[in-house]
Amino acid sequence: MSTDVTQAPEATDVTDVAAAPPLAQRARSLAFAAIPYAVAVLAAFVVVAVLITVLGHDPVAAFRAVLTNSFRNQTGMVQTLHKWAPLTLLALAFAIPLGAGRFNIGGEGQMILGTVGAAAVGITMSDLPMVILLPLVLVVGTLAGAVWSAISAWLMESFKINEILSTVLLNFVSFEVLDYVASVVWSDPGAGGAVTLPIGEGAVLPGIGRPPMHTGVLLVLLVSVVAAVMAKRSVAGFELRAVGLNERASKLHGIRTGRVAVTSMIVAGALAGLAGAIEVAGVHQRTLEGIQSNFLLLGIIIGLIARGSLTAVPFVAFGIAVLEVGAGSMQRVSGAPVEIVLILEGLILLFLLMSDVATERWRRARQARASRAKSQLTKGAVA
Amino acid sequence: MSEFLTLTITAMVPFLFVAQGTMLSGRAGIFNVAQEGLMLLGAAVGYIISLKAGGNVVGIIAAALAGAVVGFILSWATTSLRLDQFVVGLALFFLAGGTASLLYRVVIGNDEPPRIAPLPELILGQDAMVFVALALSGFLWWWLYRTDAGMRLRSVGENPKAADSLGINVARTRMWAGTVGAALMAVGGAYLPMVFSGVYADGIVAGRGWLAIALAFFGGWRPQYILAGSAFFAAMEVLAQRAQVSGVGIPHQFVSMLPYIATLAVMVFALRWALVPQFLGKNYDRESRIVG
Repeated sequence: MSTDVTQAPEATDVTDVAAAPPLAQRARSLAFAAIPYAVAVLAAFVVVAVLITVLGHDPVAAFRAVLTNSFRNQTGMVQTLHKWAPLTLLALAFAIPLGAGRFNIGGEGQMILGTVGAAAVGITMSDLPMVILLPLVLVVGTLAGAVWSAISAWLMESFKINEILSTVLLNFVSFEVLDYVASVVWSDPGAGGAVTLPIGEGAVLPGIGRPPMHTGVLLVLLVSVVAAVMAKRSVAGFELRAVGLNERASKLHGIRTGRVAVTSMIVAGALAGLAGAIEVAGVHQRTLEGIQSNFLLLGIIIGLIARGSLTAVPFVAFGIAVLEVGAGSMQRVSGAPVEIVLILEGLILLFLLMSDVATERWRRARQARASRAKSQLTKGAVA
Repeated sequence: MSEFLTLTITAMVPFLFVAQGTMLSGRAGIFNVAQEGLMLLGAAVGYIISLKAGGNVVGIIAAALAGAVVGFILSWATTSLRLDQFVVGLALFFLAGGTASLLYRVVIGNDEPPRIAPLPELILGQDAMVFVALALSGFLWWWLYRTDAGMRLRSVGENPKAADSLGINVARTRMWAGTVGAALMAVGGAYLPMVFSGVYADGIVAGRGWLAIALAFFGGWRPQYILAGSAFFAAMEVLAQRAQVSGVGIPHQFVSMLPYIATLAVMVFALRWALVPQFLGKNYDRESRIVG
């Protein structure tokens, strides 16, 4: 299955690698990339404002509440960053295989396995000192996620099983794995429900500031910078984009397309697993049913709004985190229901797609005009 | 045993509607991935309209119409605008799901929701929708494999260029297949509150929409195998519930895992049999010079 979601920004990126274009041209192409975003976001907000008004609430108050909640105080900011960390990782887990034209819908399952792996280590080896235990927890969580996505990658490569299908099915399997671990193996009898025992003290990510922000956020920042740089500047990143743009041509030019696709899936699983480990070590100190929240869906929406650009992912993820954290406050302040936010996110994506069509038509019209002018010019010269 | 059979048949119906809808769209080349959202929308609309209009039939029709609107947007955006099917499908999934929760919140609010009347029993302890679902599967098989129109629809999903050259209107075929398919998915969703819970809840679909995609692949995009697959999935769902309540010797989580692992196993072994429409998920551009 091929896709052209990544086409628009990538086309300029390829020349980027070959030879950096002059600064003015770069700035212009950046502006052209930004306009559709601005229009799409604006249009989505306008439609939602109409919707809120129809429902009998005040759109200005609603938007003020949803947009300022993260910035009003430290608590809001920390909440937003704690949401941002898993969202960024899950969005990367979707966007990286997307670069190779593969759809990873299994971020949820990979993350859950990450939480299970992290919790398993954190519970069984809880006596170890922090310098050993914490890295171990993060690494095992990451590996568990990678193994989970490797199953899908293997089925995709060896048996040509659609990766959407296998990742979705493995999500369902992961729910059962989590339920088994949390309600049978390491169940916390006092908690009531599918919740595991707490992990050892040495497995908890240290916090900074007040209220404390877990240091997993910094780790995610580092990971997203590395991912963005790798995508733009490394051979692996180039091959990934080449496979996504034209798999057949890449194969003809000696890129091992199967291996690239498999690697992208495994890396994605590792990132989702890391997200799970960070949720365990940073936020919950255990794993529990429902720990995956709606990060998968939001991760997909972020990856798609970022159009598969790994550089854009952290920024889009921040915007979505702000909306998600602000949703509750919006309902309290203005009475507009939280579901509005989901509709807003869906509309941003839909309008962004529509703006692609508009830009494309506009560019074609301009080209046609230019070539018409040129042909008239040559006609005049002949006469 | 007969109770098990009854429960299985009831659990099979939503799978059947949604998977056949997926199959119908897919056979024309439209890969709908908004099932989960469409089912939620169907459940919300079906519940609300049934409650307000006081009849399940009206509710089901309203749900089908709501689904058709979403399906039409999907088909239009992917045929006329040629946007990526998967991306538009996901965007509509979010929108449909959000609209469903919003509708419910606006109409019902946070009060204790009133229950709607369950579907009345027709014969053999089954409601009418069971027979509609079974008849639909039979009809789709007959229509796709025994009529000219059905063959034309399949040809659009297999090779739209060839179909186009023979005068088949590719865009129109895809439009209506995508629209009708989505309407069926919403009907599958509307069935849930009418049979299981009596009320709508945001978690009512519980992944059945994604499973329906798996079912379409599992059944090789053929109505008769999808019927068999739906029965298998439904039986497993009932079995897992039973294992959770009474216990069957092994932890119920492993019973619940079975259908998913079995699906993957079947896919591995039925490599050649599980045919996928050639142009599934790919848009057709008449002016394109690239073949395939």
